[in-house]
Amino acid sequence: MPDPLITLSTDAPRRVAAALARDALGLGLRIPHYGYLFEHWPEVGYFEVISENFLGPALPPRQRLDAVRARYPVVLHGVGLNLLGPDPLDEAYLDALCRLADHVDAPFVTDHLCWTGTRGLSHHDLLPAPYVPELVELAAERAAHVQRRLGRPFGLENLSSYVEFRRSTMTEWEFYTSVVRAAGCSFMLDVNNIYVSSQNHGFDPAEYLRAIDFSRVLQVHIAGHTREPDGTLVDTHDHPVVADVWALYASAWRMGGPFPTLLEWDERIPPMPDALAELAKARAVRA
Amino acid sequence: MTARSAPDWLVELQGRFGAVIRTPLDRSSGALRATVSAYAPAALDDSLDGPRRPAAERLAVYNRQYWFRLFGVMQTAFPLTARLLGHWHFNDHAAGFLLAHPPHAWDLDRAPDGFEDHLDGALGEGDMNDALREASRIDAAWRRLFRAPATAPFRPTAEDAARLLDARLVPSPAVAVVVERWPLLELKATLAGARGESAVALPPRLADARWWALAREPGGVRHLPLEAREGELLALLRRHTVRDALARLEATCSDAERASLPMNAQRWLARGVERGVWCGLATEPHTGDDQGITQL
Repeated sequence: MPDPLITLSTDAPRRVAAALARDALGLGLRIPHYGYLFEHWPEVGYFEVISENFLGPALPPRQRLDAVRARYPVVLHGVGLNLLGPDPLDEAYLDALCRLADHVDAPFVTDHLCWTGTRGLSHHDLLPAPYVPELVELAAERAAHVQRRLGRPFGLENLSSYVEFRRSTMTEWEFYTSVVRAAGCSFMLDVNNIYVSSQNHGFDPAEYLRAIDFSRVLQVHIAGHTREPDGTLVDTHDHPVVADVWALYASAWRMGGPFPTLLEWDERIPPMPDALAELAKARAVRA
Repeated sequence: MTARSAPDWLVELQGRFGAVIRTPLDRSSGALRATVSAYAPAALDDSLDGPRRPAAERLAVYNRQYWFRLFGVMQTAFPLTARLLGHWHFNDHAAGFLLAHPPHAWDLDRAPDGFEDHLDGALGEGDMNDALREASRIDAAWRRLFRAPATAPFRPTAEDAARLLDARLVPSPAVAVVVERWPLLELKATLAGARGESAVALPPRLADARWWALAREPGGVRHLPLEAREGELLALLRRHTVRDALARLEATCSDAERASLPMNAQRWLARGVERGVWCGLATEPHTGDDQGITQL
């Protein structure tokens, strides 16, 4: 009995060009959409894949990725770089990332300004660090190294966060912009994350946006989140984008558009046509 | 290479934060809750109270996320086992495993590696527990199939045929041999894509154990039925040379089976080649584990 999860049409056409239109709309590639995607090949500007899902030798993910890449540009978004971790960057991981980026001819690669593990353990979460100048230097040196290794643009994403550290001496946006500037890399700006953190920590998201040099924005992420009973926002990517985040996105577009825009949806994932309809709202919002 | 290391104070802060994240969730209320009273005071001192929550409750968001993310990964990796136990009890076993073996690789999909061995040791005796062991071995075999690289099947040459008896057939990572005493593969297929967290009933035990080769093919994973002795031979061939495997199998056969063994063995070996059960021929002794086989 065949397992429908890995059934795949293999009649791929010749590969499309890798380049993205500056105003492209993209969707995070997720397994629940494979069935629809591989049958209908809908019109989508590009797909973003989680790098770690395709770094291993496993054949089925590679086959799916190749089928997608044949028809759409693909950008890579990592969650395992551990840029602010205690250990030096994992060069074997970077080797694999470089191979994957070359394989799909990614227009750019992104990961997060965060740490994900310590003392040999991986927490598999995107964790904040204190915002201090000493860590600007550390993060910038490592990000610059990643970009050199990749030989293509590398963008750092701002986090959603739920804690602030006593040790911080800078705002999040001061820290973020300083790292990107010092590294000579780019912003992977997540406007939902700005909104979530602004609500959790009590800052003005507009002030955050004003600090961004939009000429360095590789891509903007939009997503949904969950509001807990006490008003805390959690970056769950399991709902449509809320009105306040659309408004922030519209502000960003006015300040620095066009830029490629990507919708992330990771839990309670709707059918692909519904996700694409949510993504299409971006066009109306920024008109 | 980047020479710069993280400052000591950051390493220490991250160590304290990491300990908070891995703090086990409390089950005593019948729901999984963060136990903020278990967080080290130094970790709380690192963090500030927020506009809506004190520092401990803010840290608890990460504590819950860590466990719920990993429980989800474990349930996805061992779906049959999770539904036979029900997610509540499965999560308890998963938590025990993850406390003993916290993830250390960037690849989240590796976090469940070895859970079947942990469960084997954690379960007591009895039919239900034996079925759970079998289910976890089937889930583990399935995971290995999905993670296997592309492998060319073994197509023996005349030279290979000449040295076949004293060589060991190298099992293809894209084929798993499993044995079931309950119709668990059927149950697994029934549960595929089904939502639900409650425990499902264990189907009645089979009159005779069934052997299968699970083969990853371009169109999906195929269940190929094996004759019982054929399955036993494939299992023996994973660890022994062809000559030794055949001798060991013969030693367990009845007189009637022994008479037909040469002809059957030839047929089973040919069928194994045809189905891509092997990817090569090795002369060195077996050193690995018995990946891909569920033990009776």
